Amino acid sequence: MAEVEEHPVPASPQSEERSEAGEEAPDGGAAAGAADAPPRPAGSPGTEENAGDMKKKIDVLLKAVGDTPIMKTKKWAVERTRTIQSLVDFIKKFLKLMASEQLFIYVNQSFAPSPDQEVGTLYECFGSDGKLVLHYCKTQAWG
Amino acid sequence: MCEEDFFLEEKRFKQYCEEFIKHSQEIGDGWEWRTSKDLGDGYLSKTQFQVRNRSIPPDLKEKRSDNIEQALSTHAEGSLDDSQVAGVCATEEVIRYEYHVLYSSSYQVPVLYFRACFLDGRPLTLNEMWRSVHACYQDRLQEGPWDTITQQEHPLLGQPFFVLHPCQTNEFISSILTSSRKYNRHTNYIVLWLSTVGPVVGLNLPLSYAAVAPEQNTNADAVER
Repeated sequence: MAEVEEHPVPASPQSEERSEAGEEAPDGGAAAGAADAPPRPAGSPGTEENAGDMKKKIDVLLKAVGDTPIMKTKKWAVERTRTIQSLVDFIKKFLKLMASEQLFIYVNQSFAPSPDQEVGTLYECFGSDGKLVLHYCKTQAWG
Repeated sequence: MCEEDFFLEEKRFKQYCEEFIKHSQEIGDGWEWRTSKDLGDGYLSKTQFQVRNRSIPPDLKEKRSDNIEQALSTHAEGSLDDSQVAGVCATEEVIRYEYHVLYSSSYQVPVLYFRACFLDGRPLTLNEMWRSVHACYQDRLQEGPWDTITQQEHPLLGQPFFVLHPCQTNEFISSILTSSRKYNRHTNYIVLWLSTVGPVVGLNLPLSYAAVAPEQNTNADAVER
């Protein structure tokens, strides 16, 4: 449970990941109220220690829904205190969406956590096999 | 990718609402089912108070009720002089929100109606309502405020309410449901929809709603936040 599992995404430093994907990793400081660094690809060195509950970062697996573009890197190590809104901003920048385009995140494919919800809490409630699976969907929600 | 349309029939709407109310009662979330006197139609209803600091987005956290007590007792203190009162009013305001979920037979989707007023009874104007939309949706809102929230007559009560435009509801719901159906996951339509659009206007569903389903299959059962 405490170990980060192996996966196909190269455990490479962020800069290498950047050029590989052909996209800029966004500046995490742009997220409202969050001065922390953007999520790093899971498995990169130094992300977790052994104590499961004391992990500062959790593994998040991002899955696209419908026609939403698929992220080249799907697995990320995310700080527990990062909010859903901050994650939305990150995915939007990664996918190069415009600020006014909407993206929503779901747990269990049945519930959208509110924007201020922390990822760590979601992991405690909905995480399994050491990771939190989140689906994201680019869509208009009203109009 | 083939997407099906998940148009909601009224009967199914009522079933989902029933499931929703049941869970609300279990966790004390305050939703109730109301029926209109003349017609057989019913709708979900909830009233809640929000305290807002004018310089930051609405306080959406669980400690809402503590803040309200604090704010109300501050307002009630007779010993405040004018400058103190002005100071309090300039930074905090208590707003009473009323949310209704009605079924629209023309769109075949649920629709969110809501109204809000300050403690002195003054209703929020449309502009004030637009300004109160959560910061993260402001970009999209400003592109088309009239597409987003407008004022309409409540179909059953005949009073002016704000309404969140339902035109896109079927599209985004269908995206998610097409996907979740592959996994045989039961999703409560109301929970899916309301958890998505509610936060736009200050309405947040506690996480335990994510487990609303006949078959419980995740450790979300243990949620009690």
